[in-house]
Amino acid sequence: MTSLAVVRRHLAALVVEPFAGAPVGAIVVAPSTAEEAARVLRTAGEHHLTVVAWGGGTHQSYGGAVEPAIILSTRNLLGIDWQPDDLTVTVGAGVTVADLESRLGSGGQTAVLPEQPGVATLGGVIAAGVSGYRRLRYGPTRDRVLGATFVTGDGRVVKGRGKVVKNVAGYDVPRLLTGSLGRLGLITEITLKLWPVPASIATTHVDRPEEGHWYRPLAMLERNGHGTVVLGGHPEAIRADAPTHSPGAAWPEPIADAIRLEVRVPARHTRAAIGRIPDGWSYVAQLGVGTITVGMGTPDVDAVLELRRWAESTGGSLVIAAGNLPIDPWGTPPLSLYIQRRIVEAFDPHGIMAAGRLPGGL
Amino acid sequence: MSLVADLEAVLGKERVFSDPLRRHIYGKDSGIKRGDPTVVVLPETTAEVAEVVRVAARHDFPVIPRGAGTGLASGTISIGPSVMVVLTRMNRIVDIDAEGGTAWVEPGVVNVDLSARTAEFGLHFAPDPSSQTVSTIGGNVATGAGGPHCLAEGTTIGHILAIELVTADGEVVVIGSEAPDPIGLDLRAVVIGSEGTLGIVTRVLVKLIPNPQAVRTVLAAFEQIDDAAAAVSEIIAQGIVPAALEMIDHEMAIAIENFLHAGLPIQAGGLLLTDVSGHGASVDAELEAVERIMRDKGAFDIRTATDEKVRAELWRGRKSAFGAVSQMAPDYYLQDTSVPRTRLVEVISEVYEIARRHGLRMMNVFHAGDGNLHPMIAFDASEPGTLEHVEQASEEMLRVCVEAGGTLSGEHGIGLEKRDLMPLIYTDVDLDAQRQVKAAFDPGNRANPGKILPLEQP
Repeated sequence: MTSLAVVRRHLAALVVEPFAGAPVGAIVVAPSTAEEAARVLRTAGEHHLTVVAWGGGTHQSYGGAVEPAIILSTRNLLGIDWQPDDLTVTVGAGVTVADLESRLGSGGQTAVLPEQPGVATLGGVIAAGVSGYRRLRYGPTRDRVLGATFVTGDGRVVKGRGKVVKNVAGYDVPRLLTGSLGRLGLITEITLKLWPVPASIATTHVDRPEEGHWYRPLAMLERNGHGTVVLGGHPEAIRADAPTHSPGAAWPEPIADAIRLEVRVPARHTRAAIGRIPDGWSYVAQLGVGTITVGMGTPDVDAVLELRRWAESTGGSLVIAAGNLPIDPWGTPPLSLYIQRRIVEAFDPHGIMAAGRLPGGL
Repeated sequence: MSLVADLEAVLGKERVFSDPLRRHIYGKDSGIKRGDPTVVVLPETTAEVAEVVRVAARHDFPVIPRGAGTGLASGTISIGPSVMVVLTRMNRIVDIDAEGGTAWVEPGVVNVDLSARTAEFGLHFAPDPSSQTVSTIGGNVATGAGGPHCLAEGTTIGHILAIELVTADGEVVVIGSEAPDPIGLDLRAVVIGSEGTLGIVTRVLVKLIPNPQAVRTVLAAFEQIDDAAAAVSEIIAQGIVPAALEMIDHEMAIAIENFLHAGLPIQAGGLLLTDVSGHGASVDAELEAVERIMRDKGAFDIRTATDEKVRAELWRGRKSAFGAVSQMAPDYYLQDTSVPRTRLVEVISEVYEIARRHGLRMMNVFHAGDGNLHPMIAFDASEPGTLEHVEQASEEMLRVCVEAGGTLSGEHGIGLEKRDLMPLIYTDVDLDAQRQVKAAFDPGNRANPGKILPLEQP
């Protein structure tokens, strides 16, 4: 019997049917608790089987390719403990962003998660370290991560920080997990800080949003030359900043091309980055932030590499967010790679958690 | 050559001290413990810090970074022989990018000096610990410092974009970037708040945020502290996030009034100090909403300031709290803990009960908006047995807070003071994971050893 077959039998109670789009040949296990997930990971470690944590699958296209033997699904990690008076919520990793935000919205609060999440789960958003457009006002998703429970690659259930909004006790492991792409283990539960939804939200369309005088807008965006500013606050403040506006947030249509890049540069270089995007490519630029999501219909590797060279020369990066291009998905790895490697090796000593997904082949 | 001679070869005799007086001065920070560093050095550049660290490593001495010494958790206390690396001479604001809203600064820059320098661009550095006229950016990074205005803007973690770090083996690495979402693991997350245990921070890229167009300050007096807490709840329930929401209890109000004679309504059970800030077109509407809530919840005395001068007067009481306590007794002990905001009132009454049981004089100021409380105990350490009572009461207070779902420190850090209490909030497995983070940066355990994490039992 192959080791995968042995493992399948050993974990039978947790194995579920593969879902559409799951990597071929992998078994899917769906634990309901961190302890069950720990058992899966210990078993996988014994048999040296590669494991990939899986929420909605939205961000699996980031980083180096991984061929998992086991998909560790978060679909059964679904608790929500919302404390509106404390402005916090503790959420199972498998809860979808759409469900969570709709629930919080009913009480006038938000976790400021990505605005067009599709089927993305909270665990996926935290693991991928992605943020919504409103980060211009509220900071990236990572800033709101107060605590987390995760299972290391060798099956230890570890809790980091807690459920209070101010906490400096011990190393901030939860924020270290944010953006770790499942390489340190499976995130099972996250506590987030919440914000009240502003009294009023409005959208105005202008050319070159960064040249306007807005008081701390929620977002300044440009999609293929069309500028959008989303404002939030007291109605009087919105009227003063944008006499002409429409109510609500009108987010730009997402980039839908098969190949999707993220250019990340210091905020003051955002306009220059837009100027370097070849004709025919589409983009959504976050002015004031420095993130430009770029889509292209037909692959042009030379143009991507040229754009990456420039982005890196500003101190930024160009990351392949989706689609197949025959180049490194991350570009030049960071100087601290050797420290990152030691952390990864400590939390995943058998090297089974999505090895190779992080920059530098880590 | 000896350690001192080797260090003198790097920095010259004038920036290396091993005399008893210097060792005494640098033997203590603002916490209650004392240590005895072997030698104190004052480097002025990153290269010098790296060379000092390499010399210390060669002699097998740990290094302890120190800023202005305002830390309250004994995080810069030398445990055994050590090289203390004092960073106050690295105090240059290297570069301000007003358009991008960032600045590269050295760790010895004093917190208020930075915002004073960036005021001409209408920008400031948000974390504003009470020590901000003295404490340094490096120290703010080390502790993950907060302050009253972190209610709306968050603590230091959200305001640091990149860090230049000299590791304990003398390597210089830059962590993070001015560009968003630097690729790879976000090591900034663990370096911020690491209290010098992962290396020495020699340069910091800080985020600067726009100054508010308008600020209003309200000081409201309530008969009962519960009423003040109810007002805080209602403000948050109505979706208002004031820039600051500070509570001063009855005992503290009396202490401040005796110190300042500012005409505070000392009959109050609780005083609530609130900054409402934001857009010039709406700040007065938000101010009215806040005042209405305060009245509805029973405020009997409401003072409002719309100009800087009166605002400063209203804030003077809050900012004088430490001074007020210092004049009551030769020593004071300031606790820092954090609970879910909704549990504040019950926790405060339990904390008073503990102080009463130990016969200690205590008063409170706290960041009511985010559940961060600061019981202060005024005492005389020369009275036999008093310090032991203070320490015991302090530990009991922490236990009460942890039981209420809180944590050991909201913004001051763990240091040496609370190190051995970490098992109250973390399991052995949790702590081992944190030890692994420390070891990844500092395999030889030479960067400020013996802080944050309890020593492993042999």
